[in-house]
Amino acid sequence: MLMNSGILNGSRSVSNGLKYFHTSSCCREIQKMTKLRVVDNSEIGKRAMAEGKPPKCIHVYNKTGIGKIGDKVLVAIKGEKKKGILVGLKQNQKTKVPKFDSNNLVLIDESGTPVGTRIHVPIPTILRTILKEKTQSKGADYTKILAIASKFV
Amino acid sequence: MRIETCYFCSCKIYPGHGIQFVRNDCKIFRFCRSKCHSAFKRKKNPRKTKWTKAYRKAAGKELQVDPSFEFEKRRNMPMKYDRQTWTRAIDAIKKVEEIKGKRSNHYIMQRLRKGRELEDEHDVKEVQRDLALIRSPAAGLKERKAAEANAEDMQESSDEEEDDDMVVEDGGVVYL
Repeated sequence: MLMNSGILNGSRSVSNGLKYFHTSSCCREIQKMTKLRVVDNSEIGKRAMAEGKPPKCIHVYNKTGIGKIGDKVLVAIKGEKKKGILVGLKQNQKTKVPKFDSNNLVLIDESGTPVGTRIHVPIPTILRTILKEKTQSKGADYTKILAIASKFV
Repeated sequence: MRIETCYFCSCKIYPGHGIQFVRNDCKIFRFCRSKCHSAFKRKKNPRKTKWTKAYRKAAGKELQVDPSFEFEKRRNMPMKYDRQTWTRAIDAIKKVEEIKGKRSNHYIMQRLRKGRELEDEHDVKEVQRDLALIRSPAAGLKERKAAEANAEDMQESSDEEEDDDMVVEDGGVVYL
């Protein structure tokens, strides 16, 4: 299958040498089966990334199955199921939201407390508004992950 | 709120404009528009792309080194808030902008003036080469020829006079 390498975004034409047909560019969405990159310093996270077996998303806690920035996801990591928050996406974002070179994840537990103790990767400041909306009083407090972040974008 | 500068073209990015990109080495890139973003994705070097400020400064087309630029540099020391410092800083910013503008413009004008001198030399040469277009070589030819002929006659006569002077006159024998 030949790809036109000059076109980065938008439509491409794919040909088998005889017929051209239209494809759309890759959306880079987070859905079931996407591999994510753990950016906190939790034990499981570090071991998984070091082994080269990054966590795989198995469920997105969203009405649509597509994970956006700040969404909670269920991941399978080292044979366990863990929950995490998406803190950085490769996908093109809205204005004022930075985009990252990899899909970044911070592992949390049921009550929203992060499993790791520090995050060295820059975290978007827009997460404060997003996570505050998700947090309900007397429920899980998701904004705790902002406390362990060291750098903001 | 902070007005950033574009990584590629060095122009100001106001809030709500452009794209921010974070690389996996935690370096943040800010682009003012998709033109700069596309160029970055195509791995263009801003120091070699003619229209960017980075190129202009690297190629010496614009003022690079000046004390007035030192004011804008990022300092990594946090400052305790002081109202006095703030208000004075705002006045200082205006003054520094003015001075910086004048110095940059002056630098550019100096560069362009050299071009003006070259142009003048070029023009002079061109005029001399193509003088025929301005004044025909045949203009006033007759008068010039006449003048030349006169000049020759004058020359000859003066030459003859010179010969006369050279010859000693024989006025005859002198009887006392």
